[in-house]
Amino acid sequence: MSIKPVKLIVIAGKKGRVTVKYPFQEPIVTPEFRGEVEIDPAKCIGCGACVRACPPNALELLESEKEIILRYFVGRCIFCWRCVDVCPVSAIKGTKNFELATDKFTDLYTLVVHTRATCELCGTPAETVRMRRYITEKVPISEEYITTCPTCRKKQFAEKIAMRKVGISELKK
Amino acid sequence: MSLKSSILKKSPWVFHLNTGSCNACDIEILDALTPYHDAERFGVKLVVSPRHADVILLTGPITVESLPKVINAIEAAPRPRIIVALGSCGSGGGIWHDTYSTIGGVNGLLKILKEKGIEVDAVYHVPGCPIRPEALLYAIALIKGIVSKKREMKIYKAE
Ligand code: SF4
Ligand code: SF4
Ligand code: SF4
Repeated sequence: MSIKPVKLIVIAGKKGRVTVKYPFQEPIVTPEFRGEVEIDPAKCIGCGACVRACPPNALELLESEKEIILRYFVGRCIFCWRCVDVCPVSAIKGTKNFELATDKFTDLYTLVVHTRATCELCGTPAETVRMRRYITEKVPISEEYITTCPTCRKKQFAEKIAMRKVGISELKK
Repeated sequence: MSLKSSILKKSPWVFHLNTGSCNACDIEILDALTPYHDAERFGVKLVVSPRHADVILLTGPITVESLPKVINAIEAAPRPRIIVALGSCGSGGGIWHDTYSTIGGVNGLLKILKEKGIEVDAVYHVPGCPIRPEALLYAIALIKGIVSKKREMKIYKAE
């Protein structure tokens, strides 16, 4: 039942070359293929929605006094594109790029550095400057209170209530 | 460095080391060796013992259970030791990076190897979950110096 070598050559000759020429040609990828994601630094507001959605924590928010850094570590990404779905400003775009091999670990990082806004009253670092602007655009009368942090906002509100309940003269004592 | 590159210019024999992967990456390695992708064009040959290997293809996030065997296998490989961490699991721990039973990819392994005094000459990272066979071919071409590196660290300033 075995095929004779001569026959085999005939079959192979009919079939021709099947081996792809990659890496000397463009890779063949299907339309559904999901590759690495790309963050558009001009659009990202640093909200952290993608960080919440990312299953392997490939996206992380690193917070410091002055800055919030969105860090994308492609070496851990599973290419699920959940981040693409949740981004409110469509700053993340899926690409078909998979040629990510590198000999240096740090090559796999992408950082987007955001400046942090501060609370007007107590000075504690708050959300990013861009996020403040985004909220002001989207939510009516938010510019009234957006410049303060939630703690100060609560304190202000409690003071106003107390003013009505006890009266200013009592509070001053 | 010169010894490493001169060895890799020739035919890199690879040893496939599964350290607790989900087997998708392992299937893709086999896919890369089939006539369709044909990694043997670059002289890649799968060997059965780490003692014969130039390159160790490491898949999986390195489970605690597999760790002693992984260390043994890597120790058995001759110098220059070159590890290619395949998949998101191998290169960064992947989706299992913070579970109790894994040590989080090749970086955790390198620390342990350093403590034990086992030297590793080069580590290549190939992200993907699973890696495409082409991604593996690209990595091999990169090791052999056929293609240039495309990925580098990007830092953007957004206000
Ligand atoms: S969800 Fe979009 S806007 Fe928010 S941090 Fe992620 S990339 Fe930036
Ligand atoms: S594609 Fe998935 S794993 Fe990768 S960064 Fe987005 S959410 Fe995280
Ligand atoms: S990188 Fe993904 S496909 Fe590969 S072993 Fe890990 S979980 Fe499986």
